[in-house]
Amino acid sequence: MSLEGWTPQIGPYLTLEEVIEHAFDYRGNITVVRTDGTDIVGYLFNRNASAPESFVEIFDEAGEGPIRIRCADIATITFTGKDTAAGNAWTAWLERKDKDRAENAAASGA
Amino acid sequence: MSVPLSQVVTVASYIIRQKLARRQRYPLVLMLEPLFRCNLACAGCGKIQYPAQILRKHLTVEQCVKAVEECGAPIVSIPGGEPLMHPEMDKIVAALVATRKYVYLCTNALLLKEKLSLFTPSRYLTFSVHMDGLREEHDDAVCREGVYDRAVEAIREALARGFRVTTNTTLFDGASALRMREFFDEMMSLGVEGMMLSPGYSYSKAPDQEHFLRRTKTQALFTRMLAHPKRRWKFNQSPLFLRFLMGKHDFECTPWGNPTYNMFGWQRPCYLLQDGYAATFRELMDTTEWQRYGRRSGNEKCQDCMVHCGFEATAVDHTFGSLKGLVETVAVTLTGRL
Repeated sequence: MSLEGWTPQIGPYLTLEEVIEHAFDYRGNITVVRTDGTDIVGYLFNRNASAPESFVEIFDEAGEGPIRIRCADIATITFTGKDTAAGNAWTAWLERKDKDRAENAAASGA
Repeated sequence: MSVPLSQVVTVASYIIRQKLARRQRYPLVLMLEPLFRCNLACAGCGKIQYPAQILRKHLTVEQCVKAVEECGAPIVSIPGGEPLMHPEMDKIVAALVATRKYVYLCTNALLLKEKLSLFTPSRYLTFSVHMDGLREEHDDAVCREGVYDRAVEAIREALARGFRVTTNTTLFDGASALRMREFFDEMMSLGVEGMMLSPGYSYSKAPDQEHFLRRTKTQALFTRMLAHPKRRWKFNQSPLFLRFLMGKHDFECTPWGNPTYNMFGWQRPCYLLQDGYAATFRELMDTTEWQRYGRRSGNEKCQDCMVHCGFEATAVDHTFGSLKGLVETVAVTLTGRL
């Protein structure tokens, strides 16, 4: 199931750390909302929870980066961009192939 | 085995130096991913699913050269994405060849014929062409018809111009051992220097999640496929790795053997898994929790993996790490029996 469009509610049942892990695993752009109310859109490619000051790293929408953001400065992350790993490229290909084969078989039988 | 003697000597002396220095962990092949952009969208590939701004980016020549120097591995494999879509791939290759690194440029060959004139034949440069089987199987695997024929045409042209050419083949569930044996005949008839084989890895981001080989199926397939190998078949990889795929060895993964560098940095822990990135090669080696990976770690993601980037380095280390391994490698090489 894709997380595309997800706006997680950080609270007792969902920690920021868990949301960061989901964002790290997500193959689309996300929006990092900072505690000061500002936000930044980009692709989150790295996170390090064991660093002295835990952080995430992103390339912004223009591809600039890496931009490092301290986890302490993050209020939440929303999954605003298209999930590029979602979809059915493989099944679509198989369906197209099956259709072609059926059409070819029908044509040769006609 | 088809690896040229000069390359064998380079790799052997490098490993012996590591052994003499008592280095427990050392890289063998740098996986240099200069871009993620590709002109195909293969069903089993989990490497290219990124937002547009990431797909537009690529490493510079300087970044590539610095990564190679930092790593120190004698062999550099350049996968991707499709490396020939990089606007300065010729310059990257020339810079690496000048440092006497053995470069394997992994390509689907769609652009190879038109870009060949940008490269100069060298014993340090090999075009490793992605071929997942005979025409029908390959075009199915790459989800586009006509790719096999274009790749064959490009291989012929590259060979005619004096380049080293190998093939690299990823195998999935449902592969026919008989058809693969026909494929090996076909590739050797084309005149490639050697072939590289590996089972596919079940990337969580790949579109096709149903056709990855599990461990026992991998061993059964490779046993059927490589039983009584023909003398004319040449494999550009460790014979002990092939024996491992046939279930004749129980190697553990060497994730640091093929470290990966791309626009995100040094990838933890290996070419297939993405558990984060280190800023430097030293940081990768020193701070990655290696004990969390490999089959014996219990890590679920590693249980069915038998991919070359984790186990070929183990096989090579086994060859040079013990008399038994060396004798076995020599025996297999001389007799041709896997």
